[in-house]
Amino acid sequence: MSEIKNKYVIGDALSFLKESRKLAPKRKAKSRTDDFSEIYQIKKESDLVIQADRCLDCGNPYCEWKCPIHNYIPNWLELVANQQFDKAAALMHQTNPLPEICGRVCPQDRLCEQACTLNTGLGAVTIGEIEKNIADFALNNDWRPDLSRVKNTGKKVAIVGAGPAGIACAELLVRNGVRAIVFDKYPEIGGLLTFGIPEFKLEKSILVKRRIFLEDLGVKFVLNTEIGKDKHIQDLQNEFDGVFLGMGTYRAVDGNLPGRENKGVIAALDYLIGNVNQQKNYQMVDSHYYDLKNKNVIVLGGGDTAMDCVRSAVRQKAKSVTCVYRKTEVEMPGSRTEVKNAKEEGVKFIFNLQPIAIKSSSNNKLESIDFERTNFDVLKHKDEVVNLQAESVILAFGFRANPAKWFEQSGISTDTSGLVSTLPNTGKTTATNIYAGGDMVSGADLVVTAIAQGRGAAKQILNDLEVLNDLF
Amino acid sequence: MSLYNDSQAKASCGFGLIAQLKGVQSQELIKTAISALTRMTHRGAINSDGKTGDGCGITIQLSQSFFTPIAQSMGASVDSLLAVGQIFLNPDEAIASQSKKILEKELRRETLQVIGWRNVPINKDVCGEVAKKSLPKIEQIFINAPMGWGKDDFERRLFMARRRAADKISDEQYYVCSLSNKLVVYKGLVIPKNLGHFYPDLTSEKMQSAICLFHQRFSTNTAPHWKYAQPFRYLAHNGEINTINANRTWAKCRRKKLYTPLIPDLPQLSHLVNQSGSDSSSLDNMLEVLLVGGMDIFRALRLLVPPAWKKRKNMDMHLRAFYEFNSMHMEAWDGPAGIVMTNGEKIACTLDRNGLRPARYVITKDDILTVASEVGVWEYNEQDVVEKDRVGPGEMLAADIVKGEIWRTNKIDDMLKNRQPYYEWLRENTIRLRSNRKLERAGADNYIADDLKNISIYQKLFNLSIEESGQVLKVMANNSQEATSSMGDDTPVAVLSQKSRNLYDYFRQQFAQVTNPPIDSLREKSVMSLETCLGQEHNLFQETNNLAYRAIISQPILNFAKLQQIKLLDQKYYQFNELSLNYPINESLETAITKLCDAAVTIVRNGCVILHLTDRDINEKMLPIHAALAVGAVNKRLIEKGVRLDVNIIVETGTVRDAHHFAVLIGLGATAIYPYLALQTINQLHLDNNLQSGLITARDNYFKSLKKGLLKILSKMGISTIASYRNACLFEIIGLHQSVMDLCFYRMNSRIGGATFDDLHNDNLKNHQSAYNDQMHIQRSGQLKYVHGGEYHSYNPDVVSLLQKAVNSADISDYKLFAKAVNKRPVATLRDLMGLKLADKPLQDSQVEATGEILKRFDSAAMSIGALSPEAHEALAIAMNTIGGRSNSGEGGEDPKRFNTLKNSKIKQVASGRFGVSAHYLVHAEVIQIKVAQGAKPGEGGQLPGNKVTMEIAKLRNASVGTTLISPPPHHDIYSIEDLSQLIFDLKQVNPKALISVKLVSGPGVGTIAAGVAKAYADMITIAGHDGGTGASPLSSVKYAGNPWELGLAETHQALIENNLRDKICLQVDGGLKTGLDVIKGAILGADSFGFGTGPMVALGCKYLRICHLNNCATGIATQNKTLREFHFHGLPEKVICYFKFVADEVRYWLAKLGAKSLDELIGRTDLLELLTGDTSKQSHLDLSDILAAAKRPDSQISAAHYLHQRNQPFDKGLLNEQILKDFKSLESTKNISLKYQIKNYDRSVGAKVSGYIASNYGFNKGHDSSKKYDKNINDQAVRLKIEFKGVAGQSFGVWNHQGVELSLQGDANDYVGKGMSGGLISIYPTGNIQYIPSRSAIIGNTCLYGASGGKLFAAGQAGERFAVRNSGAITVLEGVGDHACEYMTGGVVVILGPVGENFAAGMTGGKAFVFDDFELLEQKANLETIEIISLAENVNEEHEEELKQLLQEHIEKTGSRWVQKIVDNFDNYIDGFKVVVPKVTHKNKKAEPLKLIQSISSVRGSRHV
Repeated sequence: MSEIKNKYVIGDALSFLKESRKLAPKRKAKSRTDDFSEIYQIKKESDLVIQADRCLDCGNPYCEWKCPIHNYIPNWLELVANQQFDKAAALMHQTNPLPEICGRVCPQDRLCEQACTLNTGLGAVTIGEIEKNIADFALNNDWRPDLSRVKNTGKKVAIVGAGPAGIACAELLVRNGVRAIVFDKYPEIGGLLTFGIPEFKLEKSILVKRRIFLEDLGVKFVLNTEIGKDKHIQDLQNEFDGVFLGMGTYRAVDGNLPGRENKGVIAALDYLIGNVNQQKNYQMVDSHYYDLKNKNVIVLGGGDTAMDCVRSAVRQKAKSVTCVYRKTEVEMPGSRTEVKNAKEEGVKFIFNLQPIAIKSSSNNKLESIDFERTNFDVLKHKDEVVNLQAESVILAFGFRANPAKWFEQSGISTDTSGLVSTLPNTGKTTATNIYAGGDMVSGADLVVTAIAQGRGAAKQILNDLEVLNDLF
Repeated sequence: MSLYNDSQAKASCGFGLIAQLKGVQSQELIKTAISALTRMTHRGAINSDGKTGDGCGITIQLSQSFFTPIAQSMGASVDSLLAVGQIFLNPDEAIASQSKKILEKELRRETLQVIGWRNVPINKDVCGEVAKKSLPKIEQIFINAPMGWGKDDFERRLFMARRRAADKISDEQYYVCSLSNKLVVYKGLVIPKNLGHFYPDLTSEKMQSAICLFHQRFSTNTAPHWKYAQPFRYLAHNGEINTINANRTWAKCRRKKLYTPLIPDLPQLSHLVNQSGSDSSSLDNMLEVLLVGGMDIFRALRLLVPPAWKKRKNMDMHLRAFYEFNSMHMEAWDGPAGIVMTNGEKIACTLDRNGLRPARYVITKDDILTVASEVGVWEYNEQDVVEKDRVGPGEMLAADIVKGEIWRTNKIDDMLKNRQPYYEWLRENTIRLRSNRKLERAGADNYIADDLKNISIYQKLFNLSIEESGQVLKVMANNSQEATSSMGDDTPVAVLSQKSRNLYDYFRQQFAQVTNPPIDSLREKSVMSLETCLGQEHNLFQETNNLAYRAIISQPILNFAKLQQIKLLDQKYYQFNELSLNYPINESLETAITKLCDAAVTIVRNGCVILHLTDRDINEKMLPIHAALAVGAVNKRLIEKGVRLDVNIIVETGTVRDAHHFAVLIGLGATAIYPYLALQTINQLHLDNNLQSGLITARDNYFKSLKKGLLKILSKMGISTIASYRNACLFEIIGLHQSVMDLCFYRMNSRIGGATFDDLHNDNLKNHQSAYNDQMHIQRSGQLKYVHGGEYHSYNPDVVSLLQKAVNSADISDYKLFAKAVNKRPVATLRDLMGLKLADKPLQDSQVEATGEILKRFDSAAMSIGALSPEAHEALAIAMNTIGGRSNSGEGGEDPKRFNTLKNSKIKQVASGRFGVSAHYLVHAEVIQIKVAQGAKPGEGGQLPGNKVTMEIAKLRNASVGTTLISPPPHHDIYSIEDLSQLIFDLKQVNPKALISVKLVSGPGVGTIAAGVAKAYADMITIAGHDGGTGASPLSSVKYAGNPWELGLAETHQALIENNLRDKICLQVDGGLKTGLDVIKGAILGADSFGFGTGPMVALGCKYLRICHLNNCATGIATQNKTLREFHFHGLPEKVICYFKFVADEVRYWLAKLGAKSLDELIGRTDLLELLTGDTSKQSHLDLSDILAAAKRPDSQISAAHYLHQRNQPFDKGLLNEQILKDFKSLESTKNISLKYQIKNYDRSVGAKVSGYIASNYGFNKGHDSSKKYDKNINDQAVRLKIEFKGVAGQSFGVWNHQGVELSLQGDANDYVGKGMSGGLISIYPTGNIQYIPSRSAIIGNTCLYGASGGKLFAAGQAGERFAVRNSGAITVLEGVGDHACEYMTGGVVVILGPVGENFAAGMTGGKAFVFDDFELLEQKANLETIEIISLAENVNEEHEEELKQLLQEHIEKTGSRWVQKIVDNFDNYIDGFKVVVPKVTHKNKKAEPLKLIQSISSVRGSRHV
């Protein structure tokens, strides 16, 4: 085995102690807020190897256990440590169709890296970063899995929605000789990956690469095609052996906040999509671009979407950007890293404030927001109202299900909140041969959860089509 | 059916023979023999009534002066030869007379004249109750031979008549002790001192003999049989034949092959040796066949029990040829064996190749030879002794008392090797098949070209997972040894698994514990051999040229080259035929196997010599018969048809990958195996750049690791050669249905039923479906480590996380989540198939015994400081002491600072490495646990890797920093049950207050062993399950050895109850216990007490990383790394306390639900369990009712069903020790105390009691570190006691001798002198005016100074085998040693002024030895792996010479040795002969670390060897 750096020997049982956890350097906060490019620099191979070698290869791989798709993390870390990058990439792809994306957008600090045995003071292995870089290498080198022995089964499945759930489903199907045709209303694949997540977290070129990759594997994408509008669900049911729905949740939660109808109040997703549409010139008709330059912006919410918004606003050169969250910092649902990045970029955070009303001036210009405090124990006056000035307010309270009109007539049941009901672990909806997964089933959740559901449904489809029994 | 089977009883003992070498018969000699036997009473078992023993007996010549007058009074002819039969008959007159009639009839058929029967006078009063109940009718039959017959002809016909009669007599009680015209055997279930009283014949003045063979038995059960008493017809045996299964099977095969003109009717016998009963009796049977067949005793004994000839470097080639030739016709009968035998004219004593039993002999000037387990068994006059020595390993001492000749080993061997031109025969007819790199390369290329495309089909079909290729095969190919793992096996056994598992997983390797020792296959490989012979076997009575037509391979593992060569052998002698193992997919598996057997028989009858079974020709329409099923069934059928010896079974199979797989097939009868799929997988790894070396080297490495693995598996059973392992079936099956067992594995036990042929077929089908579906991935399996969707693990991340959450929050609702995750898991253990039957009316909380009472029953399992960090070890001790339970020191010693504090481990372990075991350590124990075996690796030793041996650990273990420390597989002072009894006695002498506990591993027959252990006066027995944890263990041991504790616990409980010993024994269960429900089920199945290993570890923060062996435990628990311990260990005793309290609370919850007030009430209440059907077809085929039946409370309360806290006191009260202690106490205030005593061989462990007393009252002076430098004066001590003894000391003289105690003995000593000595001084020297030369005679026995850590021993004479094994600090001078001296030594100084035995200093890593090696033999005898030998004269280090001189001077002062005086007087002339033996330069060790690191890179992560 070759030596990576001076005196560094791969396989030292104590490497996790000798080498500390190191993430790739970020660009300086100042420079990165000038554009929408990714903030992490590409990591040197040798650094990846050393970081991967820190893995203890525990008897109980907590990382893999915690990962919703149970990536073979210790195994591919070993391959990386041994500099077998292509093999590592191949192994990543066995459980995950989008490793470079998960590597970027997964909240590792809540999943694999949080569960990492070393995350008790020794510094977790930089799993996400290794995943991202190795998958990038593979895609940049036009690596493709060997599917030469896959036999065409003659079956075909329609997939509605080219988001993570749909992609995951389609990829597993084509790997098993089932044709997969993916319909999406947007001009590019990825769903929220493309349109919801800003470029500094996930550059759009990556999705393009991934699309080409998937197309090479045999996935067919039919874009700019909305089911129910451009094509009927019945047609899909008739033409295909099965249909998988991975349409996401797009209805923003507005919290019934008084004053929300003001023009200066923007739904997070509208803001993000508009931004991407404008930057990438997708020319989507329904999309509106919001320019927050020189404005005082308040973002309400504490999840990853809120972070995407604050950091986008910073890049649009807003005058000030404040994130207001109703609970404490530790209770924030999103990734810690993102909060940190946002802080570095100059975002101000205020916690324990619950918005109660949005105030406008007489000319309907947005002026401020009223909040009440939520940390009652430290509060002297329970009814004290805090008022914060703002010209724009972004609501990032999350998303609700937006069931399509045709669900009902197709026999797809939803629950009271509009989420599609499925049999656990199968993705089977109440309609024959229609499967569903992702946010539209579980509510707004992580990318990796959607992938897990897409794959779960694919396994069920393969089973139901008698392509494979008892897979894995 | 029950789990415990008293017919599995094992025995060991004391034995000996006394003979007048000139043939002068006398009554005096018989008297002496009986008194000698009496003086070895302690070697047998004896009941508290003082009457009941396990049997003893004596063989004497057929005394003409006694028997002739009786015969004549019955009307015998004066001129004809007279024979007498000593016969046990059924007490029922009618049955007895029936038997007598049959015997008479058979005798008459031989034209012999039956003169009449005599009731043998007996005195029943000396019998104990058990003996009386089973007392047979004892009669003698008198027979005349026709005129003119010779003595030997007469013997032969008596033999045939007796054997034919035995075949016809069905009465179990009928037993012929002897039937001979040369000798007679008197034996019975009495204790030695009563033998003469029981049989007044023996004390009659007319009863005279020149030969007396005697034996006293220690059986593992309490209801022994009369007929199992020894001597048998020809021999008496001390020890155990480990190879008995193979020997019996091969004897069965040989029945039709043996032919001798002397008994042409031999093939008529139904069997040659008995297939059940005592191993010794089978050996006796075989010996008898050989002798009556015309073989002399020399060849017969050397053939049956050969020395380790294979690897002896300096053996004469003709002698080697003799052994090699004979090994082709008879596998060794191996195992600890001290054998004495006689045919009435010749006598012989021989020892097994390892010398595992003691045999000391003395010849006095009146030509009386005494050989016995001990020296000093009768009161001869020391001045009359002309020769005194021991019989060494593989040696033989014989005498012909008709001719008055003595034969020693060399003379016997010289005579044997020259009888036939063995060497030439072998040279001309025997072919050696060797590896051929060129051919191998061609083979490999061939695969790569053709077969590798389809490898995934093979891998899926034969269930070879990614995990196996990466974690098992890759490691083997890279490191040439199998991977190491830690934490043990937490997966379900194969039959419980939801996955389809390789059939080999159902096989659990048997292992030696207590009644026989495992061998150290690494350090003692000189005694082991895997050599395998191909070709037909012939009649061994006929020694001719063509019997040597054999092809020899060095090991039963074939590579491509060897398989090719086998195919190309001369078809005249080695006809090669092939049978496919693949059968049509729509056929039933059972039918396919039967057809295969039919085909095999036909082929063999048509001349096939090499039967090649292969599953390589797979295709989509066929399924493979698993090779194990095939070999088992074919082998069985070939034996039944009497053609087994005509053929060798060669197997080419994809199922075989690791050493265990090989062992299974060989155990089932395969001759050699070709693991093609494993090799292909290595090719694949090679092509994928996963190997460190070239392909051929990687394949070689793989073969090497297999070889090591096989040797290890053999050695686990104490077997030395593969020939004696083949066909031995040394496995227990867990989870196969009886129908499978009957057809394929009929000689193995499967006690709980399980998978049927259909289940196996379905598994096969599943593999097949995936194999031929390209879309299906090869499994990751998760057998070794948790993987999502793979095998279930009991300590999976959920369980670990939940437990840690519970102890961190200390919230019972969190504990409940943990308990639920465990108690409701998918079936993973046998107890999971047992549900509780809850009471209709649960008890109130207040009615159930208090938590405190329950906590007292909890112990933490043994984990050494060394394996654990001191912080973790102490936290555990504090926790256990706080809750009122006990923590276990493990085997690494303990810092005396912890004694008498809350950090003291109440259980102190005594394991085979004896690290830190001194009197001072032992007296601070409440319980002393002898670790006989460990659940994760029974039958194996352990190693503490050098990187864990820090300054602190090294100090505790008396070793040097950074050296790997070895715990040998056996305790070198326990080779047999009576040895364990002795060790327990030693411990009870040094610490009379402590309970002595013995830790056993669940395995077949563990009940029998436990009963024996209880008879050896243990107070507590731990039964560990196979799922026990470990700091480091080879993977295959973790996976394939040891049984679920449910079986072992229930069996032990039953055995103890049946033997009326249950109330004296606190029975503990250990292995995978996690929750209160586990405790409840354990109690119901028989446990009084509960050992927890991993549970408390997890509570302390262990995350089950399985990297304990790498010293990098990230939780700071299993590491000595400072940073990790200081900054990353967060374990608090409170967390462990919290865990145990939760468990106890849960126990109380269930007690209430079951309506039981206490755990005592629950023990044996199997009516409270119901058997569940399980989730899978295989599980539903299990039948666990035998477990419940075994654990059940007996209906009649003959004895208590649980422990009653009574002490199990030895019969021997140790009177001399009592006296010494009393005398010492009366003089305690005096500064220098001097005492004097006479001592006899039955005074055992002398000195221990006073040492223990001093250690506990005066402590240990740390200022004196004897290991550092030779220090002439032992000053600054609190106590000075000198005791002088005269006579012969019993075993364990000066055991655990303590600082300030000086023992001096004029006379001889037996085994274990100075064992565990930590200070003080022992000197032993002969009486004055003796005729023999002391420096050439044995003065002390075997295993002296074992585990000594300090003090000095001077002995003016030689020691037996295994001198100073694991010495870590004692300084000693003596004048010669036997085999294996200084093994595993880590410190101290050993000066040997005479001969040195084989395998000297094996595995020695510290200290030094001076050897006077005048004949330059040391180089050949020493095991040079870890040591180097330097000439003293050429050595630059002057300190050495000075040190030696000082020691010699002190030796002379203490012993007056003339030989040493001579050396000292002429030191300049002698100095050239001296060698210094030291570990290979110690300072290299530190440098060696980085080297090892580089090696480790390649190894699979997680199995990194450092």
